[in-house]
Amino acid sequence: MNKSSITEIVNKNLKTRYKKEARFQRYGQFSIFVAIIFLVIFFTSIISKGYTAFNQAEIRLNVNLDYEYIDPDRTGNIEEIRYGDFDGIVYEAFYKLFPKVKSRADKRELRELLSSGAGIKIQRLVIEDISLIGSQIDLWLPLDDEVDMLLKGNIDVDLPESSRRISDSQINFIKQLQEQKIIENKFNTTLFTSGDSRESEQAGILGALVGSALMLSITFMIAFPLGVAAAIYLEEFAPKNRFIDFIEVNINNLAAVPSIIYGLLGLAVFINYLGMPRSAPLVGGLVLALMTFPVVIIASRASLQSVPPSIRDAALGVGASKIQTIFDHILPLALPGILTGSIIGMARALGESAPLIMIGMVAFVVDIPSSPLDSSAALPVQVYLWADSPERGFVEKTSAAIMVLLTFLLLMNSLAIWLRNKYEIKW
Amino acid sequence: MKNIDQHNVNQKKEFETVGSISSSKDVVMSVKDCNVFYGENQALKNINLEVGKSEVIALIGPSGCGKSTFLRCLNRLNDTIDSCRVTGEFSLEGEDIYSGDMDVVLLRARVGMVFQKPNPFPKSIYENVAYGPKIHGITSSKRELDELVDLSLDRAGLLEEVKDRIHSPGTSLSGGQQQRLCIARAIAIKPDVILMDEPCSALDPIATEKIEGLINELKENYAIVMVTHSMSQAARVSQRAAYFHLGDLIEVGDTKKIFEDPEHELTKNYIHGRTG
Repeated sequence: MNKSSITEIVNKNLKTRYKKEARFQRYGQFSIFVAIIFLVIFFTSIISKGYTAFNQAEIRLNVNLDYEYIDPDRTGNIEEIRYGDFDGIVYEAFYKLFPKVKSRADKRELRELLSSGAGIKIQRLVIEDISLIGSQIDLWLPLDDEVDMLLKGNIDVDLPESSRRISDSQINFIKQLQEQKIIENKFNTTLFTSGDSRESEQAGILGALVGSALMLSITFMIAFPLGVAAAIYLEEFAPKNRFIDFIEVNINNLAAVPSIIYGLLGLAVFINYLGMPRSAPLVGGLVLALMTFPVVIIASRASLQSVPPSIRDAALGVGASKIQTIFDHILPLALPGILTGSIIGMARALGESAPLIMIGMVAFVVDIPSSPLDSSAALPVQVYLWADSPERGFVEKTSAAIMVLLTFLLLMNSLAIWLRNKYEIKW
Repeated sequence: MKNIDQHNVNQKKEFETVGSISSSKDVVMSVKDCNVFYGENQALKNINLEVGKSEVIALIGPSGCGKSTFLRCLNRLNDTIDSCRVTGEFSLEGEDIYSGDMDVVLLRARVGMVFQKPNPFPKSIYENVAYGPKIHGITSSKRELDELVDLSLDRAGLLEEVKDRIHSPGTSLSGGQQQRLCIARAIAIKPDVILMDEPCSALDPIATEKIEGLINELKENYAIVMVTHSMSQAARVSQRAAYFHLGDLIEVGDTKKIFEDPEHELTKNYIHGRTG
């Protein structure tokens, strides 16, 4: 075989070799393209459905904070004032806008346009500042979620009246209000300042947010130190024997156990056996900690293993004890990896709903929890609850809650990246 | 060839006093009947060797012959390897290294080590040198520590080059400087013996020359045990040399004699580049 024939053979094969490479690259590009398409569809669908939830239809009413309604005996006693007829005030102001409406049936239709949150809003204002009683002020008050939906174009007015939850005459009233330009879409602060509600215009995610935050801090406080300690022990101190191998295999298995099983465990151990309160962030945090624990161990061990052995040798070589070697040299080098792994594990815990359903966090809780022992909702469970609600108003609320949840996941992942870059030691 | 090697190894038994040194020198470290096993494999067989004060002893031999393993027995760094088992008598100035009375931390404070690849801590130059004295509590004040760091860096011939940036990372130095930093780190705790595992194999000739000069100076105060693959380096810096072959210590003696007139066939072959 002479020289030129070898060149020919190589040349011939060269083409197929390059083709193979190009094909492989195209496969990769295609997969990334598909992933991006799905991501775009996902985000577009959620944002397009949910962005309207950040606004809420409100009406400007000139309300008369009459003593007759609030404190007829003029006691000035807050407890007395709390039970004033604030709805009455709203209705009176509202009827004034429709002087021609006289019949009780029509008045009822009018009343249905207003949110029950309107009276509550005035109540809060008055309790905060009693001197308002007796005065007359302009207020923006929330309208009912059906009105909100109508204004956002989510109700088909061409449907027969019986198939709508808003009647023809009500649509007429709203048109009149729109002509007077006293209806506006305002930023929906309620969404961020209140707990759950049966009325979608009054439902907020603060309760779920606080519940999730309480839960995650408990999860972190338990899973992080325990997980890191376990990883350090297994990696640096544990003898290499079958028992330790057995433990290692089981830790890896635990990380793969379906989360609902952890929920069952929490229900059996924390609630039934230890008698902890149901639906409480404490129990949720403990369950999520159990779930995150193996993830933290695995991430920490991988991170500890990746510290170059030369550093270990160097430290031992100058006579550092085992614990000094670990805490002075190995742990600082492994910390960015440990933190990243743990935060990713925590992010997974934040998005977890199945185990929380098992321990009763799926309950309808209006109050915002003030301690880990109070009943509470959690963000992913709130999404689940709202997605299950029949009212139209909850459709956009669900998407809004998903957006908030995603924002927090994004924040946590950014925090992980930031921490990694900050503590990464380069050499 | 294998059979001949085995035959030659057996010949070694003739030199029973193979590792001992003339009594005129003080013995710092002595090793008797050292055997090392990695699981089922025996890495070192019946090694006897003594290390004297103010000498550089070079361990030479082909790759995988157990030189580094032997070196790591001397400061018990092999303890960190689970499958490794060490037997034999090791003593440092008369104290048994492997006995329960000898604390491994104390031992490593007395037997410093410099590794093949420069491995400064990813901390500042100052921190690198100060770490040993700090954990052992050698100095009592910040000023004393500063002085010790300066002195160690100076002895390692690094002070002039780094005194303006003593708080910049040790890893920002060049390879040769890093290795001298590691030497400074080792001598900062004032050890009796310094172990060097091919300290120049990752360095260029100029950095190597500096380190060799440094080793020459250091031997005034320390016993140095050095593993090297470079015959010329062994010839340049060591007073005695020990030739290892497949886990056996074949021959040990004055470097000059080993290089010019080795007693053993295997040593001769290695020196002349026929094995290895």
